[in-house]
Amino acid sequence: MVKTSNNLLWYSILFAILLGLGYSIILASQSIQYTWRWERIVPYLINTEPKPILSPYDGTVTVSANADAIMVSSDDGESAFEVKVFSQLEVEDGDQVFEGDVIASLSEWRLGPIANGLLMTLKISIVSLFFAVVIGLFVGLARISSNPILKHLSMLYVELVRGTPLLVQIFIFYFFIGTVLELDRFTAGAAALSVFAAAYVAEIIRSGIQSVPVGQMEAARSLGMTYVQAMVYIILPQAFKRTLPPMAGQFITLIKDSSLVSVISITDLTKAGREVVSGTFAPFEVWFTVALLYLLLTGSLSWLVNKLEKRMASSD
Amino acid sequence: MTNQYQGNDMIVAKNIDKYYPNGCHALKAVSATINRGEVVVVIGPSGSGKSTFLRTLNQLETITTGEIIVDGINMYASSTNINKLREEVGMVFQNFNLFPHMNVLENVMLAPMKVSKRKREDVEPLARKILCKVGLEARIDNYPSQLSGGQMQRVAIARALAMEPDVMLFDEPTSALDPEMVGEVLEVMKQLASDGMTMVVVTHEMGFAREVADRVLFMEDGQLLVDDTPESFFDNPSHPRLASFLSQVL
Ligand SMILES: Nc1ncnc2c1ncn2[C@@H]1O[C@H](COP(=O)(O)OP(=O)(O)OP(=O)(O)O)[C@@H](O)[C@H]1O
Ligand SMILES: [Mg+2]
Repeated sequence: MVKTSNNLLWYSILFAILLGLGYSIILASQSIQYTWRWERIVPYLINTEPKPILSPYDGTVTVSANADAIMVSSDDGESAFEVKVFSQLEVEDGDQVFEGDVIASLSEWRLGPIANGLLMTLKISIVSLFFAVVIGLFVGLARISSNPILKHLSMLYVELVRGTPLLVQIFIFYFFIGTVLELDRFTAGAAALSVFAAAYVAEIIRSGIQSVPVGQMEAARSLGMTYVQAMVYIILPQAFKRTLPPMAGQFITLIKDSSLVSVISITDLTKAGREVVSGTFAPFEVWFTVALLYLLLTGSLSWLVNKLEKRMASSD
Repeated sequence: MTNQYQGNDMIVAKNIDKYYPNGCHALKAVSATINRGEVVVVIGPSGSGKSTFLRTLNQLETITTGEIIVDGINMYASSTNINKLREEVGMVFQNFNLFPHMNVLENVMLAPMKVSKRKREDVEPLARKILCKVGLEARIDNYPSQLSGGQMQRVAIARALAMEPDVMLFDEPTSALDPEMVGEVLEVMKQLASDGMTMVVVTHEMGFAREVADRVLFMEDGQLLVDDTPESFFDNPSHPRLASFLSQVL
């Protein structure tokens, strides 16, 4: 009984603190006379503005009987332009139109720059994540190999990558490696992110493999399995389970770190935010929205990993 | 997987020496022969090199000098495929080393399917038959964590048997077990011995040695001091070190 009433007290205090934090944000913005205009953000997320359909040349309009098609016949009689998909008719049958006149409009949902930025962030994160795991697996295996070349090369790789800032690595990839190999921005950015994250993934995989008891490898080898078979069937499946939580943390870091590729003009979520700020003069709303969208990505990843972990835990 | 070799000697160790990387001289000029169908028990104080000796026989440990011949094949010849050789030599560990992410049936079927590349429909009846023999037919869907120590060790024996080896190595198979589970594992091993399996067993179970062994070896400080029949080994110890060891443990 004492326990529950205590908990209730703590939760009410927690709630009060959160409320206070929210209120302080409002107060802070009032103190600098900031007017919130959240509605300005919407078109940058999803653009519902009707898209005008223009006449490609001077001509005469013919509208079909049930008004589901428009035809513009050019004055020189050589070509005809037909529109079947539209939502609002802007001309009448028999009208004369000039090149560039609006004949109809199409209202459809298009992604605004922020949504496109979100997609770019998602795309570069997924691509980098994939390569980070592939490279990281090989580097991690090389780290524990008994071959001195593999061992020391992989150690050097991990030290180099972990000892320099990601921002600098992105510049090196874009300006040096990108120039030498003629990489486009996206490839250079994704490569820099992959190589960076792979060093951390390699360390996670190495410690995951080393946390599997040596007896497992011995049992597998004593049955006649090759080193590779023992790794694939016995060691890695067990290591994978143990590496899942730190790996999830690394993936979340990767998503957040991907914001740095905006410095080489990749229009990711962060870059899109910067562009939209200069168009809307609503910096607070934009950056809060951007933050929320990052949170959405990282949050869904955590959720996914959590589910996976629960499923794997129940298998034994 | 059977070899053309028909000789009576299953394993021959000639003058083997083993230094660990840290300089520890674990085996000193050990020579021994294990004949087909024989049960050989290895006894000795802790740290005497029993495990090291056993593990050199399937090359979990490499030797520094000497020669090991398994089923007529020189283990260290450049033409020898150690993985093929290990298929002939089953091993059972003190700590079972079952694969925790697989159930009992999968533990037993994995090696025949992946190593010998046999089809599941051929392996499964064999695996079930062996599990039945070790008394675990009711446990095939369980994961190792759901089994008792004695059950785990019997699965480990079944897993090794599923490769249909010519010889089985046991490294203190009952040492990690609660006393009430020792019997069930020894029972399986006795059954195996009476089926004619060639076995090398490192153990502290003197009763098993006396009852089941054809020969008993005594090791101390990396040396093989005694190689004798169980009767004379226990009743007329031929070496003073063995006599003092037996007086301590019996
Ligand atoms: N991996 C290793 N590296 C270095 N020295 C080792 C290693 N394994 C064993 N030794 C040493 O080799 C010697 C023999 O060890 P071994 O494990 O073969 O003895 P054992 O007879 O099996 O003992 P126990 O009854 O305790 O299992 C010991 O002195 C031990 O310290
Ligand atoms: Mg031992």
